[in-house]
Amino acid sequence: MDKSIVSDDVVVRANGLGKSFGEGAVIALEKASFDIKRGSFVSLVGPSGCGKSTLLRLISGLIEKSSGSVQVHGDEVQAPRPEVAMMFQKATLLDWRTSLENVLLPTELNGNVTREDEQKAADLLRLVGLKDFLFSFPSQLSGGMQQRVALARLLQTGADVLLLDEPFGALDEFTRDRLNVELMRIVGEVGATTLFVTHNITEAIYLADQVFVMTPRPGRIAEIINVDFERPRPLSIQTTPEFNKLVAHVRDVLGEDH
Amino acid sequence: MSNSQTFNPAKTNRAHLGRKRALLHVVIFSTLIVSWETGSRIGLLDPLFYPSPSSILNSAWTIYVANATIWYHLYATLGLVFLGFLAGSIFGTGLGAIVGFNSVVRRFLKPYVIVLEATPRIAVAPLLIAALGFGSASKIAIIMLVCFFAPFINTLSGVVNVNEDKLELFKSLRASKLQILKKLVLPEAIPVMMAGERLALTAALSGALVAEFIQRDKGLGSMILIYTRNLNMASAFACIFTLTVIGFLIFRGMEWLDHRIAFWKNEAGLARVSTKRARKMEGF
Repeated sequence: MDKSIVSDDVVVRANGLGKSFGEGAVIALEKASFDIKRGSFVSLVGPSGCGKSTLLRLISGLIEKSSGSVQVHGDEVQAPRPEVAMMFQKATLLDWRTSLENVLLPTELNGNVTREDEQKAADLLRLVGLKDFLFSFPSQLSGGMQQRVALARLLQTGADVLLLDEPFGALDEFTRDRLNVELMRIVGEVGATTLFVTHNITEAIYLADQVFVMTPRPGRIAEIINVDFERPRPLSIQTTPEFNKLVAHVRDVLGEDH
Repeated sequence: MSNSQTFNPAKTNRAHLGRKRALLHVVIFSTLIVSWETGSRIGLLDPLFYPSPSSILNSAWTIYVANATIWYHLYATLGLVFLGFLAGSIFGTGLGAIVGFNSVVRRFLKPYVIVLEATPRIAVAPLLIAALGFGSASKIAIIMLVCFFAPFINTLSGVVNVNEDKLELFKSLRASKLQILKKLVLPEAIPVMMAGERLALTAALSGALVAEFIQRDKGLGSMILIYTRNLNMASAFACIFTLTVIGFLIFRGMEWLDHRIAFWKNEAGLARVSTKRARKMEGF
């Protein structure tokens, strides 16, 4: 692809991107090509083994690609970089640090922590609804609250590409719904480009501007579906016929198992 | 009665139960002591081997106060335990860290570790004395030998079993190797390392006694041996109870230290440090 036609609006671009393990024995991801526009929200949905997490890790630079190309802001990804930050299914908080200290970790790893950094971290914790828990330790928080801290830490990095690997997958449905609504509000506020991995079709459509439907063996992107509902989206949108038509379509692409 | 809202029948019941239990403890303990005393007085227990509680107390008074012989030996044993523990613990922790961080060393060292774990290490004590001669050096070496293993294994496993998800987080945040070590690996290993140190200190006390049984120049171990040989069982018992107290204090002391250092592993520690951090950062 000619690099000169890459528009400024494209933040993440993949072209024939592939990843295999064990000298090609297992193909985790096969020939993925896509453009992701600045500020858009993309959901990656599909069953286990479809390569969703692999794709995120390729973009983050945590693992090396086997073939093709993947670019962030026009540069080929070689290693983790400051514009890209990741959030995991487990909160991965450090048990010996308070919420505030956990949120400050990215800043600390990249230099000295100033008073402004502390202020920003405290503000982010307020943004995710934890203003009364700045000095609580992870084990004193519920699972949902721990993920809120992880979300604040993600935002503290200042990255404009956010990679979320089933961030609320381990939480109960009510907590998850509420956090999804807040996630949409928050990433909208900070204007980040977001890639969100999930097993859940409804969640995938509800949150996204684009849904990448992925299928396993070998892992690949079967279809990219545009979701054009206006924002902000109420939870009740999930019961409209248009929404359900999209759900049915995604199920169709995923095949018999769903 | 104050008012119906503060009246808590469950709580009152619990307090009542607590008092009842304490009373039961006192009754059982007194019965035990009184029957022991009577048993030895009426000749049911041979006072030669089972001296009465009153004669043990009497001996304790003699060795602690009247001629105060025990202090010299008490210091000797405690000093030995301290030095031996320090040496064994530094050696074990250091070796554990080196092996933990080096996968090649780990692979080739593993069979030796298994062999060492299966061998009762105290069996080597006579050889150490043969090699190092009588004196403090061989005693400390014996203690080192019995107490280095727990810190070694626990440090090793603490360092090796670092949480993969957290490691990935640190990598995604572009942390350096040193940062990963300082801010993730070491803090994560601390609780299990502390558990190793606790085991080591208890083992050090046993090791010191064995060393003193073999070399009877000084220390509580040699006192017990000499008193027993002279059929002064009451004094031997007084020494044994001294060791009980030392063992208890060591256990409690290490527990206290553990709760301080690995504060995030217990509720009280979390609450305490949380309040402290909040006070330090007032204004947020």
